[in-house]
Amino acid sequence: MKHFKLGFEKRRSLYGYGFISVWFIGAVIFFIIPLVQSFIYSFYDIKPDVGGMTGEFVGLEKYNYALNEDANYRSYLFSVLKETFWKTPLIMIFSLFIAVVLNQKFRGRTFARAIFFLPAIIATGPVYSIISGNMASTGSSGSDSFSTMFSSDLFGKLMYFLGIYDISETVTKAVEAVENDVFGIVWNAGIQILMFMAALQNIPSSSREAAIIEGATEWEYFWKITFPSVSPMILACFIFTVIDSFTDPKNAVMIRIGTMQIDWKYGEASAMAWIYFAIVLASVGVISLIINKFIYYEVE
Amino acid sequence: MERSSMTFWRRFRLNDIMWRIFRFFILFGLSFIILYPLIYMISRAFSAPEDMNDPTVVWIPKHLTLSVIKETMEVMDYWNTLFNTLILNIGCCIVQVISCAITGYGFARFRFKFRGVLFGIVIMMILVPVQIIAIPQYMIFRYFGPFNLINNPLCMYLPAAMGCGIKSGIMIFIFRQSFRGLPKEFEDAAYLDGCGPFRAFWSVLVPNVKSSILTVFLFSVVWYWNDFYVSSTFFDKNQTIALSLKNLNTLLSQTLFDGANVSVREQIVWLEAGCLLSVVPILIMYIFLQKHFTEGIERSGLAG
Repeated sequence: MKHFKLGFEKRRSLYGYGFISVWFIGAVIFFIIPLVQSFIYSFYDIKPDVGGMTGEFVGLEKYNYALNEDANYRSYLFSVLKETFWKTPLIMIFSLFIAVVLNQKFRGRTFARAIFFLPAIIATGPVYSIISGNMASTGSSGSDSFSTMFSSDLFGKLMYFLGIYDISETVTKAVEAVENDVFGIVWNAGIQILMFMAALQNIPSSSREAAIIEGATEWEYFWKITFPSVSPMILACFIFTVIDSFTDPKNAVMIRIGTMQIDWKYGEASAMAWIYFAIVLASVGVISLIINKFIYYEVE
Repeated sequence: MERSSMTFWRRFRLNDIMWRIFRFFILFGLSFIILYPLIYMISRAFSAPEDMNDPTVVWIPKHLTLSVIKETMEVMDYWNTLFNTLILNIGCCIVQVISCAITGYGFARFRFKFRGVLFGIVIMMILVPVQIIAIPQYMIFRYFGPFNLINNPLCMYLPAAMGCGIKSGIMIFIFRQSFRGLPKEFEDAAYLDGCGPFRAFWSVLVPNVKSSILTVFLFSVVWYWNDFYVSSTFFDKNQTIALSLKNLNTLLSQTLFDGANVSVREQIVWLEAGCLLSVVPILIMYIFLQKHFTEGIERSGLAG
């Protein structure tokens, strides 16, 4: 009996290798080897040559250059980190809220959904950056009139009306930062909304009926049923949001790395990238461990 | 008892109505923010270049015209490029979804040595942007054994089929999460009925994560459609829509303007027409998938 059990476990683990084998071979060829190569490049003075790259070993010189000599790298690094850390929770709360709203039944729901997923389809491509560039260059007819009409004035007045205008300097500043960037948040939340909606749809409708019969309020239903059910997606969503903002080709650090590559300073570019990713990796790892403690899985 | 339940229902209805109004305003305002750049795009794509210098034109063009769009289509070699992109896009997405689902299932349900380390590689694939590994990858395809695979669609297909295409990491991650969310009894029942793991995967588990598969497929189509960085690394010519849109500036001044002096403001018209042309096919595809997506929701709701 014991023998059979061991054999079964062993067979299962072999099947596990079977399922991931194709991916593993691909990952070695298309991911690990290039990654190691790029790590090696960061210690070399690299030049392209027939059949590959050639160069000489220079040790940590490129890292020293990135951190101490390059004029902009450090300040870019700090600004990108700061922006990511305050934007990520906002994007996640916003997208969970919208996903819950769009999951309710109301007239015109399909239409509303179609609109809210639009950024997910357009934002990653060249289209959105071209349009926003053009809007900025035509000035008055574009984004200016939009912002006076929508963000600062209207929102400020609403806060004043509600009597929560001048609580403190920091609150006002934080609110202003958010309202000025409402565009950035809404346009970056498309895929997260989609992810949360997919998770919400996997909640069986019987649990809702049971909750209503037991007399649960909407609020209780959200915290006791909805939130635990989508909690595995929260981790995925968190990682996606952070990475999306870190690896965005439009952020300052990536642009700096890109220009270094165009100048064929590939050693410097690799060193900068590796410093950047050491920081990203460490912070994502720590926060994921914390979030993982609060996730509810159907099966442990 | 009777009275308290009456007040409960009255409060319930009042809350309900308040919520409806609130919901309407939230959705309306946010929809406006989302649609604003797109309205701008459509308005500019249909206007003649001279409208850009006319301060009285804000949204509705004075000279409504289709000629700008026609010219942009010629410059982009639209139908050929579209056909190429569709072949590349759909092919890559199908093989990518299949390979990522299989890998995600392997990580979700089997215990084996080094699982943590191997899953660490998946996380690394999510974290590392393509910009870092693009040049070593170029070298791999340039000297792929005796072959030169640059400009060959294979250099998009091969990584996708092996679960290492554009953003494959996040797809494996999503599949792993959704397979882990399913009750284990599904497979146990399948095993008792004499299924092997591959058969159990295909005929029991895959049908249960249909909504995840559709979501991932939608992501995949969109990311391949929008990608210009990876394809610009592997292709010399403008073989995809995103690539030719990215280079539309250069293309326009080479072919259409032919040295004539066209101001930056006037060029916007052609650029926006290019944007419109590259958004329309994915929008059509999206509307089609959106319908399936909602149907999937209701079906899974009924099944639960």
